[in-house]
Amino acid sequence: MILLVTTAPGGNLPKSARELVTVARQLAGGGPVAAAVIGPESAASQMAEYVPQVYSLSAAELEPARAEAVTAAVQQVAAQAGATTVLMAANRLGQSVAPRVAVRLNAALLEDVIKVSGTAGAYEAVRYSYLSRVTETVRTVGGDATVITVKPNVFPVADAQPGGSVTSVAPQLDATATRVQVGQRSAATGGRVKLEEAGVVVGGGRGFGSAEAFAQVVEPMADALNAGVASTRAVVDAGWRPYAEQVGQTGKSVAPELYIALGISGAVQHLSGMNRSKVIVAINKDADAPIFRIVDYGVVGDVNQVGPALTEAIKAAKGS
Amino acid sequence: MIGFELSDDQKQIQALARNFVKDNVTPVAAQHDRDETYPATVVEAAHEVGLLNVSVPEAVGGLGLSMLDEAIIGEEFGYGCMGIYTILMASELGIMPLLLAATPEQQQRFLAPLVEGPRLAAFALSEPNNGSDAGGLRTRAVFDGDEIVITGTKTWISNGGVADFSVVFASFDPALKHKGTVAVVVESDRPGLSTNKLHGKLGQRASPTYEMVFDDVRVPISNMLGQQGDGFKIAMRTLDKTRIPVAAGAVGVLRRALDESSKYANEREAFGRPIGQFQAIQFKLANMKIALETARLQTWYAAWLADNDKPHAEAAAIAKAYASDSAFDAAQEAINVFGGYGYMNEYPVEKLMRDVKLNQIYEGTNEIQRVVIARHVLQ
Amino acid sequence: MKLITVLKQVPDAEARIRAGSGGVDLDGVTFVIDGMDEYGVEEAIRLREAGNDVEIVALALGPARYEEAIRTALALGADRAIHVETDTDLDPISQARVLAQVVQHEGADMVLVGGKQADWDSAALGPALAEVLGWPHSDWTTKLELAGANVTVEHDTDDGHESLTMPLPAVITTQQGLNEPRYPTLPNIMKAKRKELAKRSLDEFGAGSGLTQIVDQQIQTRERLGKMVEGDPATAAAELVRLLQNEAKVL
Repeated sequence: MILLVTTAPGGNLPKSARELVTVARQLAGGGPVAAAVIGPESAASQMAEYVPQVYSLSAAELEPARAEAVTAAVQQVAAQAGATTVLMAANRLGQSVAPRVAVRLNAALLEDVIKVSGTAGAYEAVRYSYLSRVTETVRTVGGDATVITVKPNVFPVADAQPGGSVTSVAPQLDATATRVQVGQRSAATGGRVKLEEAGVVVGGGRGFGSAEAFAQVVEPMADALNAGVASTRAVVDAGWRPYAEQVGQTGKSVAPELYIALGISGAVQHLSGMNRSKVIVAINKDADAPIFRIVDYGVVGDVNQVGPALTEAIKAAKGS
Repeated sequence: MIGFELSDDQKQIQALARNFVKDNVTPVAAQHDRDETYPATVVEAAHEVGLLNVSVPEAVGGLGLSMLDEAIIGEEFGYGCMGIYTILMASELGIMPLLLAATPEQQQRFLAPLVEGPRLAAFALSEPNNGSDAGGLRTRAVFDGDEIVITGTKTWISNGGVADFSVVFASFDPALKHKGTVAVVVESDRPGLSTNKLHGKLGQRASPTYEMVFDDVRVPISNMLGQQGDGFKIAMRTLDKTRIPVAAGAVGVLRRALDESSKYANEREAFGRPIGQFQAIQFKLANMKIALETARLQTWYAAWLADNDKPHAEAAAIAKAYASDSAFDAAQEAINVFGGYGYMNEYPVEKLMRDVKLNQIYEGTNEIQRVVIARHVLQ
Repeated sequence: MKLITVLKQVPDAEARIRAGSGGVDLDGVTFVIDGMDEYGVEEAIRLREAGNDVEIVALALGPARYEEAIRTALALGADRAIHVETDTDLDPISQARVLAQVVQHEGADMVLVGGKQADWDSAALGPALAEVLGWPHSDWTTKLELAGANVTVEHDTDDGHESLTMPLPAVITTQQGLNEPRYPTLPNIMKAKRKELAKRSLDEFGAGSGLTQIVDQQIQTRERLGKMVEGDPATAAAELVRLLQNEAKVL
């Protein structure tokens, strides 16, 4: 049995959940697929449009999601479902919970996969390593089960297959599972296209010199392209931009059709989050900046001058 | 037998120096060179991580690092900026006479303070009319009771005006020639000592170079290193060792010239391809590489000899002459690789040539190095 | 208080990785202590500098060349080190099971480890270690404060960040933003030579041969055009748009 596990922020199934369905169906090859939805019952009902058996976990102790509590809940659902393969999205929560689940189930862990095939006990997956510089093929060679985290925005979203049923599960959570207290939470907001799903991304780095300059150049360009806005770690650390925009080793991984890097020098840690973009453009005043090694098109110049000129040219081309 | 591996802590020292230079020296080198300004923040930072005055003995609170350790550090600093490195190197040069000839009390008095803050030493041998002819010193030392009175002018003294003290070489009896010389530590706050920063150097412009005027400067006789008559000997034994860091700095410049040239050769295109595909350019790069590997090995060999108390004067002279001559040639070839751009100060290579030219001149000109080598060959 | 900092030695981020016959070729590559782990070592030292009575033990599981990274941790300020030396490339879950035994034997109060390892690109070691130990964990931690028998942290989540309070002992995974790692000063590099570096063998821990195996590695090649567009801002911009529309067809 293949069990996929997802949360439902805001009561909705995230895109990653429907990507997991695709992977689950692939691996199940016609066999049984189940889903555990951590969130309101309404989200579980949404999942029932895709998967025949849905376990709904709406207990208050699971909101906000804490690693140990979610781990305990997943372990119980896996046992109830008789699952020997557990799938989660390789987002922050997934990467935090999946290893704990793997230890509990004495499972092998396949992390952040971009391809996976095989059957329980003999899976083969493809993933990146060495700061996304290498593509590796990994096989499971042991363990009583397998836990797989799936890289977001790689697999296609699944088509609906309505008719699933929902079972409510009340997880048994002991004091250990709930010993971590959650304090203040802050979520980044923004009216823009979601970064991981944007077809075009405009990224900015420290080359702008100030938060104002960044906003003045990047935002109009992103508006003109209906693009997502990305930032380097340095810019987020400097307080210019919110964490939700961060792309790189410790941020999001994006692979849009077009990535425009403005004032970004190209440290490997940032590149590893966007070097799979289809077309990369960079503007930087330093001709030696490492980013120019991975561009399709580059301009050596001041982002505060070339940037606005590019925005104007884009608007002109689009006839707006 | 022969081993060419660096030890684990030498590798760490190398990594520390490399990272330090990358973060603190390389970003400011061009500006200090342009403006001839003293990089005080770099010197402070170097003190904070322990890269300043590393030869001060452990007995007085220093690290007591070896010549080989210094050569490793020197190459990394030379890579970033030979001018800034000369500040550190010249301080070690000022310390060396005390390592060779000071009493424990003198070492405590003069060297202990050098590790307590970003403080420097200087070595004052050259004079306006006297460079290579070190035996013909005109600066006078007069023994007056329990004091020594120093009168004269020194020039080309690195760190002279920013050091806590200088080791001054003077003559108390010209008739005795080099046997009539003395080495004296002169603290910078002694009345009668004035310094003038020299302007208009071709290169190594971040390194502050001074004329020092001694107008009846009095120091206690306890500031004398060794005995009366030892001055010249101390100076020569010092330079036999300190030419090794000069060589190491030149090796750093060599490596930088090679790295900049090969990077450019991969990027710049002519006749439809990267210029690195043309043999003319390839040969230049290969020659730089040949020089780099051999100069480094000779420098490390000389350092090893010195650290193991073996005769090292000839090996050090070979290292200094060869490394600085090859580095100068590599730097000017690097300009050729860059073509027109190499001639502009926006690109880093013209500075390499201007800087390393001095390595061929100071601490014993390369002509004097050849005199030393020939003497060993012919004896 | 006993702090254990787990570290790895990985290829330098700037190093050119080559692949040869199905595997990564690390010959001649410069290795460094994993940058992510450095934040852990630095945090441990800061806890000591804040006045806490702290013993810092550096712990590493890997081949002989890891010694350099371990010596760096000692030079940064760890008091002693334990190196479980092995050439076997174990998966993170299996590694966690080995390391947990050392942590338990040491009776540590906190384990610090990098949030993501730069060779496997894995974020599993910290959480897996916490689970084997039966401890809570905080991953992608950006702030840490001791509060009696608890530790309060700020860490990154999918939407932003949140603050957590958990009882010690705990596993904390570290990242950029937690602190600014210092240079190992030269005096500390020399002092580190005299610090204890205990060697253990993997056999002592019943690790088995691992749960996953890498069967192939290829360099990610992506042919990029590398076209530089010249001219003043307006000219370059116009040309760029033309290329993106007509050549790349992404506009």
